[in-house]
Amino acid sequence: MKKKVSKKKISVEAKGITKSFGDFQALKGITANIYEGEVVVVLGPSGSGKSTFIRTINGLEEHNSGEITVNGIPLNDDVKNRDVIRGQVGMVFQQFNLFPHLSVLRNITLAPQKVKKLSKSESEELAMSLLERVGIPEQAEKYPAQLSGGQQQRVAIARALAMQPKIMLFDEPTSALDPEMIKEVLDVMIELAQSGMTMICVTHEMGFAREVADRFLFFDEGLIVEEGTPDHFFNNPQEERTKLFLSQIL
Amino acid sequence: MILLNWIRENFFGTKLDVAMTITGVLFIYFVLSTVISFILNSDWTLIMVNRQLMLTGLMPQEEIWRIWTIFSLTSILMTISISFWFKINIKGSIFYILLLLIPFLIFTTKNTVLYVLLIMFISIVFFYLGHRSKNSKLKNIVSKIIMISWIILLPICFLILNILDGPKMTLWGGFMINLILAAIAIFAGFPLGILLALGRASSYKLIKLVSTVYIEVIRGAPLVAWLLLAWFVLPKFLPNLFGLSDINIVVRAMIVLSLFASAYIAEVIRGGLQSIPKGQEEASFALGINSISTTIFIVLPQAIRIVIPTVVSTFIAIFKDTSLVFILAITDLLRIGRLIPEQQQAFFGKSIESLAVVALLFWVVSLVLSQISRTIEKKLNI
Repeated sequence: MKKKVSKKKISVEAKGITKSFGDFQALKGITANIYEGEVVVVLGPSGSGKSTFIRTINGLEEHNSGEITVNGIPLNDDVKNRDVIRGQVGMVFQQFNLFPHLSVLRNITLAPQKVKKLSKSESEELAMSLLERVGIPEQAEKYPAQLSGGQQQRVAIARALAMQPKIMLFDEPTSALDPEMIKEVLDVMIELAQSGMTMICVTHEMGFAREVADRFLFFDEGLIVEEGTPDHFFNNPQEERTKLFLSQIL
Repeated sequence: MILLNWIRENFFGTKLDVAMTITGVLFIYFVLSTVISFILNSDWTLIMVNRQLMLTGLMPQEEIWRIWTIFSLTSILMTISISFWFKINIKGSIFYILLLLIPFLIFTTKNTVLYVLLIMFISIVFFYLGHRSKNSKLKNIVSKIIMISWIILLPICFLILNILDGPKMTLWGGFMINLILAAIAIFAGFPLGILLALGRASSYKLIKLVSTVYIEVIRGAPLVAWLLLAWFVLPKFLPNLFGLSDINIVVRAMIVLSLFASAYIAEVIRGGLQSIPKGQEEASFALGINSISTTIFIVLPQAIRIVIPTVVSTFIAIFKDTSLVFILAITDLLRIGRLIPEQQQAFFGKSIESLAVVALLFWVVSLVLSQISRTIEKKLNI
């Protein structure tokens, strides 16, 4: 099931982004547009800069040069802009990064209360509806350590959604999970994709990618080597590097 | 039979076990017999005569009610907190009660026995109330009241010591001054220590520099040196406003101890801050939470939780360090313990008895502190 992507409205615009860690240049000039409602899957071998790329989009990594614009707001030295962008961009991490000292409910309500100034009851209502959406409303009072990995990652998704973001970033969301828990997380992500959320996912789950991706970006050594539709990627990849990578993971 | 088996397995399993058991038993026998014969063969009238002196120093008789009021308030607050926040187990309760009985037995005189019984009765009532309200609708309110009470306890104690023409601070003494100094140092040093730790971890260079220099300078000299400096040098540096330059020696000791404590607490908390994974901060930032809120709500609570055991050992160390204020001529418990056998003719040379009780009192409080920290650790699942 594919939905229409309006090719007109750009959500994330990246122009020539570079980023170095000391001597190592992780990004060597990334230019890409992500359109509203689009699901983009970012592929590439480890160390190719794909995680770094999505982490620059919400300013978790500061880019050295180039321009990033999110929903028309430039990401620059202005801390206000950065905070506005962070409020509009949700992120899900490989290691979940739930707050272990807070209950599941509190994990989700914290940001809406502190950033959006929602009241306690409003934010809890919102949190419960999101827990409902990811299928674990009965875990609201528990602490993260009491949940399975799959449940934790679903809470992390609910937590990101609580800020009602326009864009969601997924940084290898299933890589730290036991195999039998991957599906429950992917199901939530598929539902999210079908609801029309703009998503940028770093993932190696090709089944998921085949089902929901509108476009692939293939990274290698800090550059986008190839991009295209799933059809193009699975049936007719052009670059040798892409072919080699796909032959190894498919 | 089970007991016998258990003993055999645990104490006489191998040849090495047998050897260690025998050595251990001999050693324990030696220590215990020495201690017990010392207790039985000593004359404890020294303590009986001087217990008020040991507890309150030179405070006049008619002011003693202030001390007892403070003790009752603290005792009530402590019991209700313990019953409200912690699961009560019989073994733990008996342990606490026995421990707390030691100071009561030492300090209770004929005049105060009724008072002590009253405190105990009220404490038990509050213990029960705390236990009952744990599962009631009032839970949240009670929890807030208890927390606020702890915060205002110290100011209230000061008020009680000073209202209605209280005794001069320089008359404060005995075990009370050790407890007060420790309480002040902890209550002032802890928040200051948190700020310093955050300062040292800050990305602002100037704040970082100031915090680092402060911590290293304070930790670089012994407490005795700082106390002496406070005595001789501080007056020369303070402006002569509001009588600042001749603030009394007790307040100076409070300031020095607080500043000293803060440097050590800061380093402990810094260790906690460093142990929080970077992902926690990132997750918070990614949600749009600014860096100040991230520190307050995400990083700091986790860091403090991790370092509770170390922070409490620092508290215990500070509490024992308060006995160093004798060099400022404050008559704290240790000083009194040394003065009694020197100055009271009837007890000439009875230093061991006197100092043994001093040590016992310090030990009881330290043990209670470390037990509380262990209980908190268990509750927080560290």
